[in-house]
Amino acid sequence: MNGINSGFGAWNPLVWTALFLGIVAVALAIRALGRKDYKKKTGQTKVYLSGNEEPEPEDLHVRGDALYWGMVEALSGYYRRARALHTGILSDYFAWIIVTLGIVFVLLAVGR
Amino acid sequence: MTGGIGAAIWQGATVLIGGALLGLVYKGIDRKLAARMQARIGPPLRQPFFDVVKLLAKENVVPDHAIAWLFNGAPVVSLAAVSSLLFYLPLGGFAPLLGGHGDLVLVIYLLAVPAIAMMVGGFAAASPYASVGAQREMVMLMSYEFPLVIALVSIAWRLSTILPEASVFSLSVLAANPLWDWVGPLGAVGLVLLALALLVVTPAELSKIPFDIPEAETEIAGGLLAEYSGRNLALFYLADAVKTVAMAALLVALFFPYGLADRLWLSGPLAGLVDVAFFLIKVLVVVFFSVIVVRVGFARLKIDQAARLFWIPVTGISLVGMVLLILDRVA
Repeated sequence: MNGINSGFGAWNPLVWTALFLGIVAVALAIRALGRKDYKKKTGQTKVYLSGNEEPEPEDLHVRGDALYWGMVEALSGYYRRARALHTGILSDYFAWIIVTLGIVFVLLAVGR
Repeated sequence: MTGGIGAAIWQGATVLIGGALLGLVYKGIDRKLAARMQARIGPPLRQPFFDVVKLLAKENVVPDHAIAWLFNGAPVVSLAAVSSLLFYLPLGGFAPLLGGHGDLVLVIYLLAVPAIAMMVGGFAAASPYASVGAQREMVMLMSYEFPLVIALVSIAWRLSTILPEASVFSLSVLAANPLWDWVGPLGAVGLVLLALALLVVTPAELSKIPFDIPEAETEIAGGLLAEYSGRNLALFYLADAVKTVAMAALLVALFFPYGLADRLWLSGPLAGLVDVAFFLIKVLVVVFFSVIVVRVGFARLKIDQAARLFWIPVTGISLVGMVLLILDRVA
């Protein structure tokens, strides 16, 4: 089972997969030691919501902007400026790509 | 050949069982010391073992609208992924069991898997509290991964400039060649900053106060764990215990890999025992300063505060550490 050896490090996906499946078997064995039963379709299987009525499953979908709320709020200054740069004009985006590539090439040239 | 396979299975079982047992012991020490710092007596050291046994004896409730296979599968994947991590880390002065088959990059990925599994389990529970917790877990993951990767890659890069022929991402090589022995004053300051950044990342990786925002018992009733009970919760509990050992062992391997036996001119089995005992103490020191003291001394942050903390000051500290390592090479 030869993996990849880049000279900087090694990675053998087959060894990890075999190991992972072996440990999954152990985890399932531990799980099998536990109690399996519960009272289905009773108050026990309703989600805990501090006494509030449980919403329908279709009302539980999370919107994309809510998903990243903490990140956007934390870096609100950055996002405000980044949004302002999104003009929707294609040539502007090409300009950004060219300028960024130019900076990367300058950094690579300096680093050599 | 049969003996070789038998020895490998024996060593693997030792790592698996030892990792889980040690994790539970450190959990017990954590709870006891935290209680004493708060002028409480606290539970006995063996309480985490009782917790696992009790959870296994409890009903394993799956909510009505949950996606059952994802909800039940997440704890298994979490425990398996974090346990596999132990096979790629140097433990107790011994080289990683599978060090030739995976390196630091694999370790970075495997550290993220338990958090992703918890997130999937949280979303699969179809509970508003668990959903909010899963969203927060995702933001946390996106926040602390950046300084973590900067610190780890900076160390490997600096070692590559010193030992160009070595596999610098190999944990064996990193542990056998601590950078402190090679760098000058600038590099030493850089290493201190990188160690500091990783000490801040550690409680976030382990979802401990002040970064237990995805669980936040007093606010969202356990968040992504709110609907978990019984054997599923027992597996998450075990995964958390093993991850504590893995994260502390990673920090020890990168920053404090020194043994004690060779300094005491010991050899043979006694040397091995002394190094294992010394390793356990080093892990305890890391857990004490990065988990216990921090969780007793601080209150829980809000999710945007935590994201800001990791993206600005902690990433800044990591970048300064990285630049100092670069300057150390130039100097």
